[in-house]
Amino acid sequence: MKTARRLLLTALLALLMDTAPLQAADSLPKGLRVYAPGPAPVFELTDMDGESFALDTARGRWVFVHFWASWCGPCRKEMPAVQRMAAQMKDDPLLVVMVNTAEDEDTVFSFLGSYAPDMNSLMDRDGQVTEAWQPRGLPATYLVDPQGHIRYQALGGRPWDQDEYLGFLRSLSRKTGTK
Amino acid sequence: MHALCKGRSWSALLLALSASANAARDNRVDIKFTPRTPEQMSAFYEARGFPAPMVDLLAKQCFITVRVHNTGRDTLWLDLSQWHFSSRGKDIPRYHRNHWLPLWNEMNVPLANQSTFRWTLLPEMLDYQPDESEGGNIILPQVKGPFSLTAVFASGPDRRGPPITLRYDNLRCAEDPS
Repeated sequence: MKTARRLLLTALLALLMDTAPLQAADSLPKGLRVYAPGPAPVFELTDMDGESFALDTARGRWVFVHFWASWCGPCRKEMPAVQRMAAQMKDDPLLVVMVNTAEDEDTVFSFLGSYAPDMNSLMDRDGQVTEAWQPRGLPATYLVDPQGHIRYQALGGRPWDQDEYLGFLRSLSRKTGTK
Repeated sequence: MHALCKGRSWSALLLALSASANAARDNRVDIKFTPRTPEQMSAFYEARGFPAPMVDLLAKQCFITVRVHNTGRDTLWLDLSQWHFSSRGKDIPRYHRNHWLPLWNEMNVPLANQSTFRWTLLPEMLDYQPDESEGGNIILPQVKGPFSLTAVFASGPDRRGPPITLRYDNLRCAEDPS
């Protein structure tokens, strides 16, 4: 009987863990929506310093995946807020991954130097990783859960350094499991 | 657009800014049109290393930057096949984004340039969530004089809400200053 009760409790706990991010949808910050198309398309890209990063190595953590380009006006507006958010969350286990869409190093270096000098970016040199993710437009931000599934999508640029967004990202980053 | 500030002609930029006053409005959707001059578009694409034949071809077209903002409470469905341009009773065919792909392949345009080009276009279809705003270029053949647009949006989460029809009668392609 005790074993059965323990199993039931374990199952209930697992169910709660599974639905925790979806429950948070009721109090999502403005412009974020629950988005569950399945596993995030995997990619491996190098950053401006030539360092390689593969998305599947981030399993076990929430990942903030941000697609951008220097020519996009809302990206210019949003980028400083992304940098401030990353700085404020440096002690949280959220991984911030920037992906530049189809531009060269000079352009990216110059842009980040002006708008977010502390940020580095992966280089999607031929734009094919961005194509695979099929964002609604640029900028585009996705929140990928520790199992590698896209859970949330931001609609357009967002003020990520404001309290409601920081609080939401912190609450996510402390959840290491969703299943 | 960043490149415009580095472009060759400030007068072209001023011309475009004056044209950006064009806007159609309904309480559920706000659309802004900004016609771009050939010189502006050439400067934008040249600054990004686009091949000359690609730039030359694009400079012959009529570019209008469109921003659609869902100002209502329902989902709004953009479907560019439901946008009809006309001048003096004659339809003006809009270039679908798929029109360009075989041309770029024929010109051996690098994938990076093709990708940037596609991301500067308005999506053919998109569900706009309440308060969402997304934009991009539409491309038409060069048109002399004013032309009209009738844009129909579906609404509601399942597209079964009342359709929204907007008509705009005084669009123009932007020309380079002579």
